[in-house]
Amino acid sequence: MKELIEELKTEIIDVLNLEGMTPADIDENAPLFGEGLGLDSIDALELIVLMEKNYGIKLANANEGKEIFKSVKVMAEYIKEHRTK
Amino acid sequence: MGKHNFDIESYCRITNDKVVVNNELLMQKGESGDWLADIYHHIGMQYPKFFKMDHLCKVGTLAAELVLKDKTFDRETVKADWAVILMNSASSLDDDRQYQETIRDRENYYPSPSIFVYTLANIVTGEIAIRHKIGGESSFYVFEHFDGARMDELVARAFDDNPELNTLLCGWVDYDTDGCDVLLCSFIRKESKESSENIAEYLNQLYKNQ
Repeated sequence: MKELIEELKTEIIDVLNLEGMTPADIDENAPLFGEGLGLDSIDALELIVLMEKNYGIKLANANEGKEIFKSVKVMAEYIKEHRTK
Repeated sequence: MGKHNFDIESYCRITNDKVVVNNELLMQKGESGDWLADIYHHIGMQYPKFFKMDHLCKVGTLAAELVLKDKTFDRETVKADWAVILMNSASSLDDDRQYQETIRDRENYYPSPSIFVYTLANIVTGEIAIRHKIGGESSFYVFEHFDGARMDELVARAFDDNPELNTLLCGWVDYDTDGCDVLLCSFIRKESKESSENIAEYLNQLYKNQ
């Protein structure tokens, strides 16, 4: 799980262009939206694409994202359980 | 040569190898591969959203930052007496191509939302308006090439049409496969129309000589 969390942090920094940020700067328990990383709605869509492209997970309902993107740790747990690649 | 009710307050010229602000060379391109990020860091800008933008918005945002760097104004309040009018020839083609790459392959079809949102040229006027809280007109034109006379005419019309307009950011903001080509000016209203400077010719000189 720890490895997946680190991998996910790197992917998030890359895909969301979080300039100057390293995986160590991201608290795996901190909220991704609002406070925490302060991501916006376009970032949320980009995370949905990341889930599908890298892990083969298709979110049928966009509202699922609210729960899944609570933090990097929650996201990693969901990926571990549902990944198809 | 015509009479004008506006003046050029400041200008910024950004090309592939240098940045000139009000006739002073601000920086020249070094060895680094990311010219626009270099300019961002050089001017000490603090705006993380910059890194999420496409090239056109990045270069327009940088130019606006430089044009306004010495101007005293209220940065916290939306200004209805400010406007942005930009033009270029490549529209948003640079970003359009990048977006096309994300949908080209049916086997690897992942349309990128963050690239898609920049597939319109006028997004750059919005980015500048958001950054500097500009609440007046926001327009974008696509022309074949830069023309000082046309720019002069657009500025004159903007000031004539809107008596409330006091500051106008207007210029050429272009980005394509051959890089960036920017001349952005800040125009301010003046009371008298007595001057007879040839602004169109001056704009052409700024564009060609710097």
